[in-house]
Amino acid sequence: MLMNVLKEAVGKVEKNPVEIHKVPQLQSPSLIVGWQTQDIGKLGLGVIDFLIEKLGGKLIAEINPLGFFNFTGVRFKDDLVQVPESKFWACEKDNLLILKSDEPGFEHYHFLNSILDFAEDQCGAKELYTLNGALSYVAHTHPCKVLTVFNKPEIKARLRDYELEDMNWEGPPAISSYLLWIAKRRGIPGVSLWPEIPFYLAAREDPQAIKLTLSFLNMRFNLGLNLERFDQEIEHQNAKIAQRRKEDAEIDKALSALERGQRLEEEEQLKLAREIYELLGK
Amino acid sequence: MGIKLYREPGLENPIMFVGWPGIGNIGIMAVNILRDILKAEELGEIESWDFFYPKKVSIRDGLLENLEFPSNTFYYQRLEKKDVLFFIGEEQPTEGGRMYASGEKAYRMANLVVDMGLKLGCQRIYTSGACVSLTHHQMRPRVCAVVSSENLIEEVKQYPNTILISETGGRGEGEGTITGLNGLLLAVAKKRGLESMCLMGEIPDWLSGATFPYPKASRSVLEVFAEILGIEMDLNFLKKMEGQVEEIIEGFYVKFPPKTKEEYDQRKSVAPVEPGTITVQAKIYVDERFKGGGGEGGEKPS
Repeated sequence: MLMNVLKEAVGKVEKNPVEIHKVPQLQSPSLIVGWQTQDIGKLGLGVIDFLIEKLGGKLIAEINPLGFFNFTGVRFKDDLVQVPESKFWACEKDNLLILKSDEPGFEHYHFLNSILDFAEDQCGAKELYTLNGALSYVAHTHPCKVLTVFNKPEIKARLRDYELEDMNWEGPPAISSYLLWIAKRRGIPGVSLWPEIPFYLAAREDPQAIKLTLSFLNMRFNLGLNLERFDQEIEHQNAKIAQRRKEDAEIDKALSALERGQRLEEEEQLKLAREIYELLGK
Repeated sequence: MGIKLYREPGLENPIMFVGWPGIGNIGIMAVNILRDILKAEELGEIESWDFFYPKKVSIRDGLLENLEFPSNTFYYQRLEKKDVLFFIGEEQPTEGGRMYASGEKAYRMANLVVDMGLKLGCQRIYTSGACVSLTHHQMRPRVCAVVSSENLIEEVKQYPNTILISETGGRGEGEGTITGLNGLLLAVAKKRGLESMCLMGEIPDWLSGATFPYPKASRSVLEVFAEILGIEMDLNFLKKMEGQVEEIIEGFYVKFPPKTKEEYDQRKSVAPVEPGTITVQAKIYVDERFKGGGGEGGEKPS
C-alpha cells in the first residue's frame, strides 16, 4: 500500500526548481510580481508587459513548472495552447526584478519560497511588490483607488505619501497575500497593490487600473515612463461605453446606479458584465 | 518545518487517538468528542504551511495580520488508568487535486504524527474512519476493525459491537484498502514499530458521498473508545444531531422507487456478520448532491 501511495506522487518538484539563464547586474532591486492566472482586468499582464517592454527587461530565469502545475493535459484559450510559465526578467538600468507567472496549482509554499530564494539569494532583492486587480462596484467613470496590503508597518510608513488606500479584509487569501506572508517571515518588506477594477471590466483589460498602478510604480522608482498611451485607451474605451449607454437604456440605468453608489441585482450585474464584455471585444 | 511542542507533558506509555475528516466525518467526530469529554489540553502542532494552502487571511488597516492554515493539533490528558494523546487534523494533505490524502505529503504527515508518538513514549495508535458497507441506515452501525498485528485480534473481539473487517462480508478474498490518512497512518506506525488499529463505523454505501455527518456511527466508535479507556461516557447529547441526520436520510429513503426500497430493506434481514458475496445489489436512488463524492476516504468493498 505504501508503495502505491508513493507512486501517486506524480511530477515531483525539484529541490531548486529555478533555472537561471543569466545572473543579472542588480543592486538590491525591488521584486515586482504579476500573476497572469485569474488576472482581473488583465492588470498583472498589462503592467508587467509594459514594464518589460519599456524598461528593456531581459529574461534571466524561470521556474521549472513540473510539480507545481497540472500536467494531466493542456489548457487552451482562444484556440491557443497555454503553457504555464513563471519567468523572471531583469531591468538592470532601473534596478527592478520582475516575475510574470501563472499561479501554481500545487506546492504553493515551495513555489513561493522558490521565488524569494531566487530574488534574495541570486539578486539581493530587498522589497516585494505584488499586483492584483480588486473587483469593485465602482463605476469606470469614477476615480479608482489602489487598495494596499503591507506586510510590515515600516514599509507602510515609507509609502504613506503615495495615494494608497488601506485594505481591510478577512477571508480566503489570494496567492499574493500568501507570498507577502512568506516574505514577512523571511524579513522582506512587501506590499500588495490592488487597484479597484469595475466588475464589468474584469474579463477585459482595464487601462485605467493599469495606468493607475504604473503611475505609482513610475513615481516610486523614478522610471520616467510615458503613460499617454493609456490615456488614449481609456478615452477610447469610455467612448465605446458612453455610446452603448445612449443606445441601451438598461445599461445606462445600471451604470448610473453604480455612479450613485448603489448596488445592482445579480441579474443586472450579469447583464452589464456580459454586454460590456461583448462590446469591448468588438 | 515540523512539530511545534508547547510543553513536555511527562506522559506514561500513552495511547494515541487520531482523526482526520473522511466519509461521514465518522472518525474525526468520534475523536473530537472523546477529546472534549476528556477535556484534553493542547500540546503542540504540526506546522501546516508546507502541507496546505492557507484558508483565511486577516488584513486590517492595510496590514497583513495573520494567515490561518488548517490546524493539525496534538492534545493530551492524564487519566487514572491510561495517559492519552490525541492528534486531530482539520484537513488531509493531498496532491494532484484529490479529495483525501495521497502522495508524499500524506506520508510525511503520517510520519510526523508517529514521530510525536514515539517521542512521548506512545505504544499504540488508534485511527478511526468509515466502513462503507451494505448495511441499512436503520440498523445500529457496527465497528469494523483492522489491526497491525495478530495479537490484537483477540482484543478486538472483546470490544462491544465490533467485528474484524474480514467478518463484514462482500470483500472478495478478504482484501481491501483503507484510503486516506486514517489508513496510511496504520502502515507508517506499523513500519516504525508501533501497534496500530483502525476502528471504522459502518455507513450504508449510498450515504458514503453525503455531505452531512453520520453521528450514529461515531457513537458506535465512541462506545469502543470508552471500552478501551475503561471509562463511562454519557453520549445522550448526540441524540439531537442523530435525529436531525436521520430525518434527512429518511427524506431520501421514502423517495426510493418501490423495487429499490424492497431490495434495500432486505439488508435488515441479512445476517450481518456472515461473510460471503454481496447478494443485495440495490439500485441506489441518489439525490444529485450525493454525486461526485464517496470515492475515497474509507474502507470499501473491493
